[in-house]
Amino acid sequence: MTSSNRRPNRTLGGVHDRFWELCQRQRLFLQRCSSCAQFQWPPEEACEKCGHDRLEWTEVSGRGTLASWCTFVQKYYDALEVPYDTVLVALEEGPLFISNPAGFTNDEARLGDVVEVEFVAASDDAGEFFLPVFARVASQT
Amino acid sequence: MNVAPRARMNRNDEVIVTFPDADRELSNRVSIVGVGNSDFAFDYETARSRKAEPVHNMADQLALTSFERALADSGLTRRDIDAVGFSYFVKDYSAFTPELASDALGLRPRHAEMTMPIMMGVVPQAVAMLARKDVDTFALIYSAPMRSIRRAFGGDTESYGPPSYYYYHPWGWSSQGAHWALKAQRYLSQYGYAERDLGVVATTLRDNAGRSDFAIMQDPITIEDYLSSRYVVKPLHLLDMCLVSDASVCLILKRTEESAGLRTIPVRVSGWGRAETHKEMFKHMVVKALREEYQEAGRQALDMAGLDIAEIRHFEGYDAASIHLINQIEGYGFAAPGEALSMWADGHMKYGGGLGVSTSGGMMSEAYTQGWGQVLEAVRQLRHEAGARQVLDLAASMTSLSTPDGAYPLVFTRGDA
Repeated sequence: MTSSNRRPNRTLGGVHDRFWELCQRQRLFLQRCSSCAQFQWPPEEACEKCGHDRLEWTEVSGRGTLASWCTFVQKYYDALEVPYDTVLVALEEGPLFISNPAGFTNDEARLGDVVEVEFVAASDDAGEFFLPVFARVASQT
Repeated sequence: MNVAPRARMNRNDEVIVTFPDADRELSNRVSIVGVGNSDFAFDYETARSRKAEPVHNMADQLALTSFERALADSGLTRRDIDAVGFSYFVKDYSAFTPELASDALGLRPRHAEMTMPIMMGVVPQAVAMLARKDVDTFALIYSAPMRSIRRAFGGDTESYGPPSYYYYHPWGWSSQGAHWALKAQRYLSQYGYAERDLGVVATTLRDNAGRSDFAIMQDPITIEDYLSSRYVVKPLHLLDMCLVSDASVCLILKRTEESAGLRTIPVRVSGWGRAETHKEMFKHMVVKALREEYQEAGRQALDMAGLDIAEIRHFEGYDAASIHLINQIEGYGFAAPGEALSMWADGHMKYGGGLGVSTSGGMMSEAYTQGWGQVLEAVRQLRHEAGARQVLDLAASMTSLSTPDGAYPLVFTRGDA
């Protein structure tokens, strides 16, 4: 199967490869510090909070709330037709996650709307992958 | 010649900049005695109309204009300049040395160094060196042909810096403008403002620019013009964003005790502050609007200056975008959270109101100077040389460089006050 959902290239190599490998399971895993228990995203070599380098990939609920959103009207990427929507999701576990809305548009978005991760097939120069996006499960209005 | 690197990268490729902490002993020890700038408007049109690649030494060319004007403004001569800081933005740093840049300006300083291109720590570092009497007269020069070198500020070309500059490409999220757009949407939703309410920043700064001889954008605009300008990253319009322009600014500093008798009224460097977070950037930038950092850095700067915020009647914020300026006005305490836009609409921050804000048009309408134009305008205001845009009887100004995750305010006072 080839995906027509072409995307600008992911950041790959090191800890980033593991994040995308785990996305293949269509479940969301984030790094969690084994010292201070803080979750973080994007992946890092060490804990953002305490600097500890023992980080464990831990599955998260995939749920969160909309913290903000914006719509790209100026074209920055050849691979993407404008306009398109992006969202900032406050995950239940703490980290803020940049993503795209699935099944709703930013015009309908409200601060605090509850959203849940789902995965869509996508591709970039490195090949096929599953991209985490967020669907709305409850609205504030 | 002494060349001292000041910036280094940490393991996350973030630039770590060192400069002196706020220190009451350094307050008012040093003054700005000369300022100059390039021809922002003329150079903007030149860059827009240029067909061929720009000449390789554009930064030197721009700098020569601002430097010679600052020198003439101060009444000093090249022979007096014994230290230079070059805050140059060039495409290829491998061909840049402080020696060559000094030579291009006809200078033979004892001390020359590369300094941060943005107005972050550059003045405090020079103040500390002057106060120690390491040097006597410091020229700080910003020069950046940003439009001519066609920096894109987003998209695939961004591949370094903090993760927010490159990590989110697969979702199509990139660009400096998108940082500001997330802040703006959050702010508008949180405080119940409509998109048009944000337009008061753009219309006011344009009105201010109409009072500045150098400003690139001088024609007045209405809220309707604002709303009909194209979106860059919604909810932000083109007119919410700063310009991208070629610009140079030069500041000449001397110890205050040696500034009397020069041809200008000295403008004293009274205080500075610094607070930043390199962790959990979106939480601090979008959700908390960097409030804790502005509060802390502002407190440091005002404590060092021995001033209360009520004594600051002129504020030059870092208007990379309208919303970023609003966050700073509220963060430093010129307005309560959520109230800056309504205070602005009521006239408080317009010409003749209680607080002069970005009085020469800021980076949104005057020129893109990465914070240097703010200091330039503070000096002109404090000398009472701002003409049609003068804040009456002004004695103290605050400027603010602010990145997405850091606050670096400066406080200046009029030297004869």
